[in-house]
Amino acid sequence: MNIWESFKIALSSIWNHKIRSILTMLGIIIGVAAVIIIVAIGQGTKKQMTDELFATDKNAIQIYYEYIPPEGEEGMFWEEPELTSEDIQTLSEVPGVKAVLATNQGWGMMVHDEEQGEMQITGVGPEFFSARDIKVVEGRALYAADNDGLNRVLLIDTIAREKFFKETENPIGEIIDLNDNPYKIVGVYESPLPEQFRNMESGEMIMPRSVISMMFGNREIEQLSVIASDPESISETGRLAAETLTAEKGLENGKYSTNDFEDYERELNTMISLLTLLIGSIAGISLLVGGIGVMNIMLVSVTERTREIGLRKAIGATRRKILLQFLIESITLTSLGGMIGIGLAVIGSIIVSKFSPITATISPLIVLIGVSFSAFIGIIFGLLPANKASKLSPIDALRYE
Amino acid sequence: MMKLSDITKVYGKGSLEVPVLHGIDLTIEDGEFVAIMGPSGSGKSTLMNIIGFLDYPSSGTYELNGEQIASAKESILARLRNEHVGFVFQQFFMFPRDNAIKNVASPLVYSGVSKRERTARAKDLLEKVGLGDRMKHLPNQLSGGQKQRVAIARALVNNPTILLADEPTGALDSKTSEQIMKLFTQLNEEGKTVIIVTHEEEIAAYAKRIITIKDGLITEDRRVTS
Ligand SMILES: Nc1ncnc2c1ncn2[C@@H]1O[C@H](COP(=O)(O)OP(=O)(O)O)[C@@H](O)[C@H]1O
Ligand SMILES: [Mg+2]
Repeated sequence: MNIWESFKIALSSIWNHKIRSILTMLGIIIGVAAVIIIVAIGQGTKKQMTDELFATDKNAIQIYYEYIPPEGEEGMFWEEPELTSEDIQTLSEVPGVKAVLATNQGWGMMVHDEEQGEMQITGVGPEFFSARDIKVVEGRALYAADNDGLNRVLLIDTIAREKFFKETENPIGEIIDLNDNPYKIVGVYESPLPEQFRNMESGEMIMPRSVISMMFGNREIEQLSVIASDPESISETGRLAAETLTAEKGLENGKYSTNDFEDYERELNTMISLLTLLIGSIAGISLLVGGIGVMNIMLVSVTERTREIGLRKAIGATRRKILLQFLIESITLTSLGGMIGIGLAVIGSIIVSKFSPITATISPLIVLIGVSFSAFIGIIFGLLPANKASKLSPIDALRYE
Repeated sequence: MMKLSDITKVYGKGSLEVPVLHGIDLTIEDGEFVAIMGPSGSGKSTLMNIIGFLDYPSSGTYELNGEQIASAKESILARLRNEHVGFVFQQFFMFPRDNAIKNVASPLVYSGVSKRERTARAKDLLEKVGLGDRMKHLPNQLSGGQKQRVAIARALVNNPTILLADEPTGALDSKTSEQIMKLFTQLNEEGKTVIIVTHEEEIAAYAKRIITIKDGLITEDRRVTS
């Protein structure tokens, strides 16, 4: 008798007790489905959060000022040192720095024809376009001369273009009204931001940072980041740039620092993994309980089928073959449960992905682990009943009432 | 040829010990038709189970065709049960969810015979025992006599040399019993060693040798000359 024959006997025995088999498998089904869905949601969340966090800034690192109050002082009021174009020059010479991004921000009410909308305005230098990979789809980018000459020009993004202009209209050269002041549109650009960060309502605009500074009274450089030529060493490059700037400015009660993205990412990943592990192991307990259920039913089944076992032995089944038969039966039971569980998990993750922002991703590895683990449970919890069955003496088993 | 010498059997342990066989000496040649008789509780079934490798004796030796098997390994006994003997029980003992063909073929599953061959042999034997028209029936769709025929076909399926039957007609009416006994007679004439246990004179009368057991000892062993 080969394995296939044993498998067929096992299948028909499972089929002959449909209701009982399904109830027995339920623990395994729920356990496997829960573990796989939780892990899938965990991995999906991890992917989404890291994607969002680092979507724009995979190779840019922000440098910010940190005030260090002198001994004994509260440090309530402090002023950030002014940054100049010399500072930017110094930073751009730091080894590993590919470009320096110096920007400021403003808000304004744009009015054109009948349309109006609140817009975020980013003040930039000419380096911004290449460093950020901004795609100018109509007109031109900003030049150094725009900054130096305080030219009141700006670029709108494609969202704003759609809102304020007809498709047939040419926005280039149009004079628009921003906070009651006239500006000239010189270009249209594609926003590099992921969709969820864009202003889908009115869009955004870019203008020379010197103009924002002049018109809005902002400091010319409010945000400073460096882009590393090698994204791998971004943290080091950022740290070096911050130290160089601190030294350059000769600061006493403050310093420039960076956020270490890698630390951040690592921390976040550890947190999500830990959470997944925690909830996953709670679901794993359900698997264990399911396994005990399988053992219980198999023990009942052995008792119930004592005469069958006796008859099989009387017609020539060895101990090993009886053991194998019951073991295969419990493995089939749990593997079947595992497969149904995986099916449910797939359906569940499709539903989760559809109705929540998380994309639950089921990896083939977790499916493999799910199936082999449920088969493993079948072996572990089937061994005791199978062993009990195999040890019955043929004549005692036949005489069993 | 089987040779049992000084076979004893004690059930239970310690204060619960029940001695059943007290020293059986018995030799049965190939081709014999033996009936084992005796009152209920005398140890007939116990002896039969030992002869059919379903149970171990407590002491004594059992030689089968010159080989010692009283203390053989479990797997060897399983093999002997599968190939060397065919057992027929008073209670029939069928796989209730399998049809007649599958029930007859069941021992072949354990001797590694292909499915096609198993079905072919089972069908042949069902024809032989007169159940050619009941092959697809389930045990609960068969009468007692028909079930016993299925059981006999199953006992024959691996072509054993010895056929053992423990009260094969105990649950059957006299007419059916007669048919079953004729079948055993026919099988004996074809060369099988047949050993049946019974407590009925009429059944024992089909045999050519009648052994009587009382309280675990052979009290009489006579050959019938017809
Ligand atoms: N498994 C057992 N445990 C204890 N006693 C048993 C067992 N099987 C049979 N006996 C006892 O052994 C005696 C002989 O039984 P058995 O061989 O079945 O007799 P028979 O077949 O001649 O009626 C009886 O007294 C019976 O109660
Ligand atoms: Mg008996």
